[in-house]
Amino acid sequence: MARLSHQKCTPDFHDKYGNAVLAGRTTFCIAVWTYVATQIGIEWTLSPVGRVIPKEWRD
Amino acid sequence: MLSRAAWILMLRKGGRGRREMHSPEAPARGEGKMPPYANWYAQRSYPMPEEPFCTELSAEQQALKEKEKGSWTQLSHAEKVALYRLQYHQTFAEMNRRSNEWKTVMGCVFFFCGFTALLIWWQRVYVYPPKPITLTDEWKAQQLQRMLDMKVNPVHGLASHWDYEKKEWKK
Repeated sequence: MARLSHQKCTPDFHDKYGNAVLAGRTTFCIAVWTYVATQIGIEWTLSPVGRVIPKEWRD
Repeated sequence: MLSRAAWILMLRKGGRGRREMHSPEAPARGEGKMPPYANWYAQRSYPMPEEPFCTELSAEQQALKEKEKGSWTQLSHAEKVALYRLQYHQTFAEMNRRSNEWKTVMGCVFFFCGFTALLIWWQRVYVYPPKPITLTDEWKAQQLQRMLDMKVNPVHGLASHWDYEKKEWKK
């Protein structure tokens, strides 16, 4: 049975800009969160195991 | 920002403009209702609406309705399609079509998540106090050495991950 694909005749806002909106804003979200999480000095108190090299403390 | 009167005018013009294409409602009713509250609105879970989609019929359409009262075998295919279009706003294929609305929705969700990160950035710069000395890298390294000297949690915890012979973290 032939289906009337009415949607293709009049593409709505989501058809025209949906991909661009999704891709652009996802990129913005990931980029800004990566920057905020790593570069501006927020302390996340991550575990020192495997990350911190101990330093002698007895002067 | 548009004033309330301008909004009402825009909505009324948009709604009536769409309706006039199909002439479903008598203009004397005023603004009328928009889907999904209109009487001709159907969806998969409500397939038989109360009113036909077009109630104002031209002479040609009325003649077709008269012909419909007779035997349907006399109707051509185009006439049957025209009668369907008078009765119903959309076919099932049209009303059940997928849409790309989720892309816009998720895009807006991510945008506001990203905006939250900007707020947190501002907060870090203007609200947070100076970092205490105990959180500097040097202090943390010395603190770690002291904890390893004390053998903190040697069974499953911190000291159990440190190799005391090789003086490095266990792999």
